[in-house]
Amino acid sequence: MKLRVCFALQLSFLAAIASAPSRAAGIPAFARKYETSCLTCHSVYPRLTPFGEAFRRNGYRFPGVDSDYVKQGTLVMGQEANKKTFPKSVWPSWIPASVPLAIGVNGQALYYPDKGASVPRANNDAQFVLDDLVAEGHLWAGAALDDTVTLWGELTLSSSGADVEHAQVLLNDLVGPKHLVNLVVGRGFPTLTSFGPHSSYLGDARVTTVPVTAIYGLSTDPFTLVDDYNGLEVTGVVAGQADYSAGVSTGKNTFGTRFNSENWYAHAGYKLGGLRLDGEGAQGPKDAMKPWAEDAVTVDAFVYHSREYFPTPGATDTATGDSSFTVGGAVRAQLASLELDLGGYDQKHDRGTAGLASVHTDVEWAELSYVLYPWMVPAVRVERIGLRPSDGADVADLHVMPGIAFLLRANVKAILVANIETTDGFPGDATGGLLPWSGGNADWGGFVVAPRDTSTATSRMSEFESIALFIAWAM
Amino acid sequence: MTHRGIVRSIAVALCAAAAIPALAQNGTITGKVEATPPKYLAETVVYVKQAPGTFAPKSEAMDQKGLAFIPHVLVITKGDTVKFLNHDNVAHNVYSPDVDPYNLGTFKQNELRTHTFTKEGAYSQLCSIHPEMLGYVFVNQNPYAAAVDAKGSFTIKDVPPGTYKLEVWNSHLKAPEKSVTVAAGKTVTESFSLKR
Repeated sequence: MKLRVCFALQLSFLAAIASAPSRAAGIPAFARKYETSCLTCHSVYPRLTPFGEAFRRNGYRFPGVDSDYVKQGTLVMGQEANKKTFPKSVWPSWIPASVPLAIGVNGQALYYPDKGASVPRANNDAQFVLDDLVAEGHLWAGAALDDTVTLWGELTLSSSGADVEHAQVLLNDLVGPKHLVNLVVGRGFPTLTSFGPHSSYLGDARVTTVPVTAIYGLSTDPFTLVDDYNGLEVTGVVAGQADYSAGVSTGKNTFGTRFNSENWYAHAGYKLGGLRLDGEGAQGPKDAMKPWAEDAVTVDAFVYHSREYFPTPGATDTATGDSSFTVGGAVRAQLASLELDLGGYDQKHDRGTAGLASVHTDVEWAELSYVLYPWMVPAVRVERIGLRPSDGADVADLHVMPGIAFLLRANVKAILVANIETTDGFPGDATGGLLPWSGGNADWGGFVVAPRDTSTATSRMSEFESIALFIAWAM
Repeated sequence: MTHRGIVRSIAVALCAAAAIPALAQNGTITGKVEATPPKYLAETVVYVKQAPGTFAPKSEAMDQKGLAFIPHVLVITKGDTVKFLNHDNVAHNVYSPDVDPYNLGTFKQNELRTHTFTKEGAYSQLCSIHPEMLGYVFVNQNPYAAAVDAKGSFTIKDVPPGTYKLEVWNSHLKAPEKSVTVAAGKTVTESFSLKR
């Protein structure tokens, strides 16, 4: 039993690492391009200000005519007048005069105050862990080819290797009014809400993820809502107040010989108050000294269909497929510097459990934050995962994450958080054994509680998991 | 000095004296242009929209040197001829798809080709061999036009007295026209603010 729990815990760590979203953020390459501060678009990066969110939604372009704001030198690949001579000449474009790259590093130090908590128990009672103080290096690229076509990329280096997390061509303003129809081609995060994927002060992602097939030991590369996928996405802003996205992408597949690109998703959002979603118009922040602040409510709804393949349990030469369907929503309410961000979703898997039975997952999160100073944001995040398998008992896990996000410099940040977890039961494997929890929204905070020898499927247990210090810089 | 020489000198002096009032009868339009964003300021011409009279054709020149058109903006009058020069040691081409398109073909170092502009407008000057090259020839109905300097200042000299529409052309930006009255021997000042 103990061995099985330890193995499962390690598996869940692997799955959590594999499913953790990247730390892609606005990047200093953009700061250099426009010769503007990181603070033009970010509060405590990667959190975006309302203007930064508009810049992101616009396909990494300023409102108005993007090139009007570009101060970095460009090499011209053709003149505007060449549009008149097309197709006898190449359609004009430009490239940055200097390579539009930025670099960054991030990682976390962890202190486990309770030796009896799940992670120290599985790791020789270790209480201080600096192994991941530098966990990832990033190489970002962001550039424009003209006023409508932009490029965005991210290469992440870690102990597990190099991963192209983002590589997208953004074809903006394809038809109709400006910002109405844009096409994103390549690899990246699906757009499921009106805000950027890293729209959290304490965590790494706005949306809490649940790697269902990893929790049940089926896959080491599970499907989650926040991850990078190859795909196509149509996105746009309607009349400045509504936005949408719809896309198709590859599904997860740990059974190498079978391809699948059957994932599809869509989202719609509406913002009431504050800056327009596309940032157009002369409206600036309510208080020029607080560019992050506004009085606004933004509501989102999304759906996601996923198809995932993994080796059939006990028969590694055949594949099993699991389909999931997610329905969710989110609300962000801002009153000046005070923000409440909450949301949730229901995700049904048809073969998600260890016994390949169906399972419903319900996930909720809420994050309350207040920008006390431009460089200090105290916040508390609460997130919950519930599993309702058809072949087992309903179980749930609650993660509470109080903390403070600091901006030491415009491009250097730290987050200090405590991780407290309360579980109401544990998932079960095909033989009735208990499995640890995993999921969450960051490597420095998430669901990690594991069953003890005395635990049962319905055990209630609370643990002070860790105190984490996350640090990152970019330039 | 002989008697004949004295007479000739007096005649020249009288002619010069007669010419001074004639020049003094014309005025000057000067001023400054601001551009938002300022990166496009260099591609600005201030010009009198319509002026009476006929204007003798002139010959102007636009060089290609260091893979650039020099000057970047050349202001001429309808009917003028521009000599396009190549002072690079690579081949160049000059063509424009604008207003009344033309293509002068490919020409070698120190070669010169000409084109006479018979229609008003702004002509992008392109080189098909070097797509990064860009210049402008601005063809006005009359000679009362000037490109701005690096600070946005302009001076249009020898404008006959009268009331005119003063307009500004920019490659990316716009500004409303203004009415300007030029008085003999006077300088009138106008400014423009270019925006999208």
